[in-house]
Amino acid sequence: MLDRPGIQMASTSVRIDTVTKRYGDSVAVDGVSLDIAQGEFFTLLGSSGCGKTTLLRIIAGFLKQTSGRILFGDTCIDDLAPQHRNTGMVFQSYAIFPHLSVVDNIAYGLRARGLKAAEVKQKVDTYLALTRLSHLGHRKPRELSGGQQQRVVLARAMVIEPDVLLMDEPLSNLDTEMRMHLRTEIRALQRKIGVTTIYVTHDQEEALLMSDRIAVMRGGRLEQVASPHDIYNKPSTRFVASFIGENNFLPAVHRGHAEPGHVRIELPGGQFTAKLRGDMPGGAMDAAFRPQDIELRPLDGEGDGLVGTLTDIQFLGGTVRYAIDLGGGHLVQVAGSSRTGVALPEIGTRHRLGVSPVAIALFAPEAA
Amino acid sequence: MSAITVTAGPPRRGSGISRYFGFWPVVTAIVLVLIVGLLLVPVGNIVGVSLSAGAKTGSIFENYVNFFSERFYYQTLLNSFWVSIWAMIFAVCLGVPAAYFVNRYDIWGRGFVRAAVVLTFVSPPFIGSYSWVVLFGRSGVLTQLFNAIGVPLPSIYGAPGIIFVFTLQFFPFVFLLVSSGLKSIDQSVEDAARNLGSGEFRTFRTAIAPLLVPSITTGALLVFVASFTDLGTPIILGERFRVLPVLIYGEFVNEFGGRPVLASALSVLLLLVTTGALLLQRWLSARFSYATAAIRPLQVQEQPLGKRIAATAFVFLLIGFALLPLVNIVVSSFLKSNGPVLVASFTLDNYARIMDRITLPLWNTLFYTTVATLLCAVVGTAVAYIIVRRPGPVSSVLDTVVMFSYAVPGIVLGVGLVVTYHEPPFALTGTATILILAYFIRRLPFSVRSSVSMLQQVSRDTEDASINLGAGPGRTFVKITVPLLATAILSGALLTWSNTIRELSATLILQSGTTATVAIEIFNEVVNGNFGVASALGTVLILLTFLPLVVLFTLLGKKDEALV
Repeated sequence: MLDRPGIQMASTSVRIDTVTKRYGDSVAVDGVSLDIAQGEFFTLLGSSGCGKTTLLRIIAGFLKQTSGRILFGDTCIDDLAPQHRNTGMVFQSYAIFPHLSVVDNIAYGLRARGLKAAEVKQKVDTYLALTRLSHLGHRKPRELSGGQQQRVVLARAMVIEPDVLLMDEPLSNLDTEMRMHLRTEIRALQRKIGVTTIYVTHDQEEALLMSDRIAVMRGGRLEQVASPHDIYNKPSTRFVASFIGENNFLPAVHRGHAEPGHVRIELPGGQFTAKLRGDMPGGAMDAAFRPQDIELRPLDGEGDGLVGTLTDIQFLGGTVRYAIDLGGGHLVQVAGSSRTGVALPEIGTRHRLGVSPVAIALFAPEAA
Repeated sequence: MSAITVTAGPPRRGSGISRYFGFWPVVTAIVLVLIVGLLLVPVGNIVGVSLSAGAKTGSIFENYVNFFSERFYYQTLLNSFWVSIWAMIFAVCLGVPAAYFVNRYDIWGRGFVRAAVVLTFVSPPFIGSYSWVVLFGRSGVLTQLFNAIGVPLPSIYGAPGIIFVFTLQFFPFVFLLVSSGLKSIDQSVEDAARNLGSGEFRTFRTAIAPLLVPSITTGALLVFVASFTDLGTPIILGERFRVLPVLIYGEFVNEFGGRPVLASALSVLLLLVTTGALLLQRWLSARFSYATAAIRPLQVQEQPLGKRIAATAFVFLLIGFALLPLVNIVVSSFLKSNGPVLVASFTLDNYARIMDRITLPLWNTLFYTTVATLLCAVVGTAVAYIIVRRPGPVSSVLDTVVMFSYAVPGIVLGVGLVVTYHEPPFALTGTATILILAYFIRRLPFSVRSSVSMLQQVSRDTEDASINLGAGPGRTFVKITVPLLATAILSGALLTWSNTIRELSATLILQSGTTATVAIEIFNEVVNGNFGVASALGTVLILLTFLPLVVLFTLLGKKDEALV
């Protein structure tokens, strides 16, 4: 990055301290606390209504939290009007200024700050180049594609050298190809200028791909805050396990301890050894294991495993998905790969399902 | 990470008063002061004056008791209801079929008909009235023509003439609203009814008309209110048949200099009727509204030749009658006249005669209208912003008060402003200021409504983005909101201009000789029987009214439904 002087930002860390937002009786954000490091790409992930956008708008200052504090670095910003917070926000709807050219859009925040024309031009040019928009500087927004408009608002939000970059589902209005492309572009740009970024999305793939850390939100609360790898592989709640990626859930009963750090559990159709992660939930449990962690074995094999009947095969080319009926209304999804020269099993045949002890996670069941 | 750091510095904090008071609270306060001072206080004062204790009984209701106990007075109220209700019924009976034929049948000249309806609609009502007098009055051109061949025509004076003129003047309310109502119905509704075995009339009666109820009732009540509050037409045509606004005007002129006690009481009655009518309209529209969105609106249907001819004949007969007074004005402005009698020879004398006389009124008209329109545009846009973007108790009060100003007839507003601003420190009666302020407050709803509907379609994100980038609320409003609303503000302003320039009722109350407008000049010439001069002035006024609408329809691409 030494070859790019002048674009490394002095952004800040963000501390969200037990922030709550109530509307009458309903709670949109419920006692959320987060520490986001300087330069971190931090994602708030959740389905609609989980409070992620509300939290983002509180940070931007468009909403006032009911209680709790927000700090940029060591400075509490709660009493600062949104125009004085120095955050750069990218909106889901782009919110491009339709009557202003690309250059004027990008220069808008600099002019509001009273910068001299020469300085404005120099900064705008830098960001036009960074977002590869130099050739479009004098176009009006209606002459740009969706992806180009999104790069304009990105440049517009970054050029003011914000303390924090806030992005509210910036890619959800784009087609798949453009979305894929911009994911990597945004992430590369963010790394290059090192600005602290809080990114809101409902798209888990986007979150896993782009983030340094992810906070999974649900009903205004944080379910889990962790790296993408840990969110996927070590979900701390049953909700996260079902929300991120695909999982099979089966009711499990504790059948005593096995070797140190492992337990024996009984599932519909067989017994398993599972590796203990953290505390063992008491009473009724749900065991979770992902489709790709299951091995279809012949019935005559030895060892642990559930036994079930193959009821459906979905052939997707490189991968094959099997539906296994364990009886008693329990279906398990299995993901395998298809290999040239290997025949697929027949529907109606019975199989043993093998799962490694480390791949099984145990959760307290969801309250109905 | 050792790159050189460049910082833009923190955004500038607000300066001036916005450092201590938010931009929008200050704007809201200013707007409230204007609306309260120009609308609520005057209306409140009328009520107050009307309840001042009478000399005879000492009761605060004495004025009202007098009104309802003397036939001379209460008859005017009955007369007003009589002409307004009949005008409303006729306007619906003519306007609904005309709108249906123009929008559904392949009749000839549909574009011409639409333009003609708009022209009728925006032409000043009192011009139409005296034009009918020129044609059908006692010494009218056609009256004499028919008398010569021994066919006496019915009188244009009195209730029938007023109803006739009101019907032709105000049926466009129904026509335009029903046209827009038809466009919001999907073709599939009709297709389904026909497919299930209904004939055309049955389909209209059972499937289409029920969806048009809000349009028809709104149009009907607007005709009613316009007829009930019109002052010019009944003065010109009424003779001994007196309606409530004429009585108010007469009493006001009589009481002038003193306190217009009786005029105030009469104004309160007028206001009660119009407010009641508009509340009824809102209730009916809400009650019978089926939110339909037309993906493919009702289409124009090809008709058999006979039906096509019949429908065309009906529409053109109606349009012919509606346009006749306007054509007559323009034609007679080029004819020699001897008092009220026009002679069939071409001349520019009338225009020559108005050249010296028109200068001051024309200048007044253009000046007052322009200033009032600009005020409306600025304040109206701010009010629209507060209503849409800053919901809360203050905002809903503003919304309600702006709606209420629709209900305040011009003559009532005029009386209210005189009662309120006739003494120092606000001795404004007879000044240009009071006329401009009256025009402003009366036409404010046009600007507000135009900007509100546009603002509701503009995502709030755009303004939030501006704030987020460090621009304060004031800067954001000027740099982002106003440019985004530009077309709405402009079309609101054109409608305001077009409606203000022909204002008569409030002007009659508020003007003094030096602040007379073109409309007042025409009115005076008509009352004095100088029809030639009146026609020339009328032609000028029609041009001034219609020009902004040409801009509105052609450059801004607005539909004629924008008028109602």
